[in-house]
Amino acid sequence: MMSKIAMGLGLSIALIACTKDEETIVVPVSAITVKDLAADTVTGLGLDGRPQSAGTTTYYSLVDNKIIASSDAASTKWDIAFSSTKITVNCGTSGPGIGGAFVFKGLFDDLKTLPVDSTFATDNSNAASFAIPLGSGRAWYTYDGLTTLVSPIAGRVLVIRTATGKFAKIEIISYYKGGVTLPASASVNDKLFKQRYYTFRYAYQPNGSKTF
Amino acid sequence: MKKTRYLLILLGLFQAANVFAQTRFVKDTLDASGDSVVVTATRTERKLSNLTVPVTIINAKTIQQNGSLRLTDILKEQTGINLTSGFGAGIQLQGLNPDYTIILINGEPLVGRTAGVLDLNRIALGNIKKIEIVKGPSSSLYGSEAMAGVINIITDATMGSPLTIGLRYGTYNTVDANLETKFQTKNFQYQGFINSYNTDGYSIRPNSNSRVRTPIERYSTTQQFKWELSSKTNFVLNTRYTNEQIQNEIAVSNNGVTIYSIGKENIKDLNASASLNHRFSNHLKTSLRTYTTTYDAVQNLLTINGLPYRDVLNHNFKRIENQTDWDLNKKIQAVFGIGAVWEGVKSSRYDSEKLRKQNDIQYAFTQWEWKASEKFTLIGGVRFDKNTQFASAYSPKLSMLYKLNPQHQFRLSIGQGFKAPDFRQLFLDFTNAAAGSYSVFGSAQAQQVIARLNALGQIGNLFPNYNLLKALKPEYSNGMHFTWDWKINPSSALSLQLFRNDIKNLIESQQVGTYISGAQIFSYLNIGRAFTTGFEVEGQHRFNANWSINGGYQYLRTGDKDQIAAIKSGTVYSKNSQGYSRLMKLNEYVGLPNTSTHKLQVKLNYNSPKGHYLNVRAIYRSRWAVNNNNGNEVFDNGDVFASGYVAINSAAGKSFKNGVSIQGGIDNITNYIDAANLPNLPGRTFYTSIKYELQRKNKIK
Repeated sequence: MMSKIAMGLGLSIALIACTKDEETIVVPVSAITVKDLAADTVTGLGLDGRPQSAGTTTYYSLVDNKIIASSDAASTKWDIAFSSTKITVNCGTSGPGIGGAFVFKGLFDDLKTLPVDSTFATDNSNAASFAIPLGSGRAWYTYDGLTTLVSPIAGRVLVIRTATGKFAKIEIISYYKGGVTLPASASVNDKLFKQRYYTFRYAYQPNGSKTF
Repeated sequence: MKKTRYLLILLGLFQAANVFAQTRFVKDTLDASGDSVVVTATRTERKLSNLTVPVTIINAKTIQQNGSLRLTDILKEQTGINLTSGFGAGIQLQGLNPDYTIILINGEPLVGRTAGVLDLNRIALGNIKKIEIVKGPSSSLYGSEAMAGVINIITDATMGSPLTIGLRYGTYNTVDANLETKFQTKNFQYQGFINSYNTDGYSIRPNSNSRVRTPIERYSTTQQFKWELSSKTNFVLNTRYTNEQIQNEIAVSNNGVTIYSIGKENIKDLNASASLNHRFSNHLKTSLRTYTTTYDAVQNLLTINGLPYRDVLNHNFKRIENQTDWDLNKKIQAVFGIGAVWEGVKSSRYDSEKLRKQNDIQYAFTQWEWKASEKFTLIGGVRFDKNTQFASAYSPKLSMLYKLNPQHQFRLSIGQGFKAPDFRQLFLDFTNAAAGSYSVFGSAQAQQVIARLNALGQIGNLFPNYNLLKALKPEYSNGMHFTWDWKINPSSALSLQLFRNDIKNLIESQQVGTYISGAQIFSYLNIGRAFTTGFEVEGQHRFNANWSINGGYQYLRTGDKDQIAAIKSGTVYSKNSQGYSRLMKLNEYVGLPNTSTHKLQVKLNYNSPKGHYLNVRAIYRSRWAVNNNNGNEVFDNGDVFASGYVAINSAAGKSFKNGVSIQGGIDNITNYIDAANLPNLPGRTFYTSIKYELQRKNKIK
């Protein structure tokens, strides 16, 4: 099951509380946490030892904070889509939108204004290149073959240009059901069936500016 | 069947041997004895008490009474040494990885490292006279790999029983059988040794519901011939051959699906050395040594589904060396050495398993010892290594000994060690088709390979560090060791050692470019800087004629200097318990992975004049970081650790006057198991052994 918690007020206060010396007037954008978003969850184990799944993609609208039906995949209703560890944005070969993305190294709260020279990449599945690069250690996660766990990389923010050209920032919190990365000692069953549930927080700026 | 055969042979020999049986006096040698002669520290024979660098000696009696079969068994019970797993069982000395300790047998290096690790289970201990461990950089004498230290395994033909036979049986059907013969005439000595080791192995892995067998069969034989050609000249020939077969039938079940695979591994290791030694006078002697070794490993993995995997490694190493020792006068002694090495590797991990990759080395070294007074000795040495495939290396070392009085001795050594880039770092040619098609190219040919790909239009981007790929430098460490030995009274001794190693030019893989598709291209560059530092305390005490205790403790801190700098500059992040990123603080940094802050071992020993003995050995190792789980590539408290643990081993036995000795032992009494992090530690195991040494009628001096 998926639950959404809008914690706008709480996080804004926390944000201000954390700010020490910067006195810039920030248009308060509420940070939203999405919990346990299922993304092509595992149905079983294949003969080759790899997890099996239906190969689905979960489309999500950052504007409306809701899942978009896959029948609308060819529309600009969605901004970002999840399928196991692959995250795509509505652009290029992934969708008809004018989206894009890049990976920012730093803290979610510290990213208040997008750097002027920010360049957004787009998806090009033909060349196997994506705005949010696939693979362990490249964009947002590392995979450990020994523990078989996917862990979000600390200090990575996915900066997203939405399907309609507005801006949002995302921090992936967990890839496992329950919102916390499983411990290395978790059972094989848990590691298999609790994966592919995204918990992330994001802030969306509806006014089209690059400031959060 | 096999066991019965061993037993029959054994019984037959007992009968024959009884005829010669004679009373024997078991001499108890204390480890601390300053009269022990050490060769590894200076490449000349020196009394332990006159050495300027810290040396540990493990003698045959300790090995035997501990019930140690393989080199790993005894090394893991030494201060400052931890066992590592992965690519066989290697050792970590004072926090430095297995690649940084050179392993010698009678002064000649073992080769055949996989990912930098020499599997020390290869070495049987049945015929070992002693093991010498020198801590601290020793490249000034031994060249590459002697960065953390040197472990020299010494077999000796000269003393002992003409025939020794031993048989041991233990848990997992582990059978170890030894046969050693010694033969001596006026001008000729021979030692022959055969060891066979068979085990069904064990499985402590989770998810293996059917019994996983890892039968290992190892045979090794060593031969030593020594001819006294004249009173001044002798010729020594040593050979060693090991053959190891491992067959792994793996059945792993996940959710009712079982995957079967069979892994077969065959390792052949052959070494031969010959040395001609001549003494011109009491002040001048020289030796000409040649050494050749081949290491052959073939691995095949067949899986019920998926492609078979085959891995081949052939490593050979040939060396010729001359060493001359010259005593100028009573105070000054000099050593000169010159040599050449031809080293080559063929492997399926490089572009073709048929093509030999070659590196040639020429080197020279000298060492000067100045005995300034009865109290003070100073040794300086330097070695130069010229390599064909990478930059040359100078290795200086300075060490000194100050004997304040018979109770207190101080030693200080400062030296530089190096480790040559290994063949993998020079020649690896690997492309992973499954995971994002990344490639790794060894630095010696990366530019060539990438240029070729570029001509084909396959290269997207090249990073600036691509231009640095040409001349990989050796990894360097600067080590400092200070030791204080305190003989408190005739029955107690204590020693304290402070150490620090600073390592630079660490060779690490780094991205140097991308393909058109965006897939990454990696190679190896000299980028890392690290340190290990800490102290060791060792002590021993004899309560009375029968009971004694000894022990050692190591405190170790390690770190990657670049990571520390990054943390200080505020560019390293961690996660809080809710999964939100935050800045990482320096006090959360735990240092290098696989290093433990504390290691302690204590051994309680009982020896009776009648030949009974008992020992109980406890080893504690504190937690060590194994995996990074927040992707910051820096190890902090939030990462995955292997828990600290205690292993307790015990052995007891009796030596009879007729040369028979029996032993029984239990390893890992508390049955501590950590399948993921300690695959080399099986659960509780039992063993019993019997040994017979034919008594020599007249000892030939």
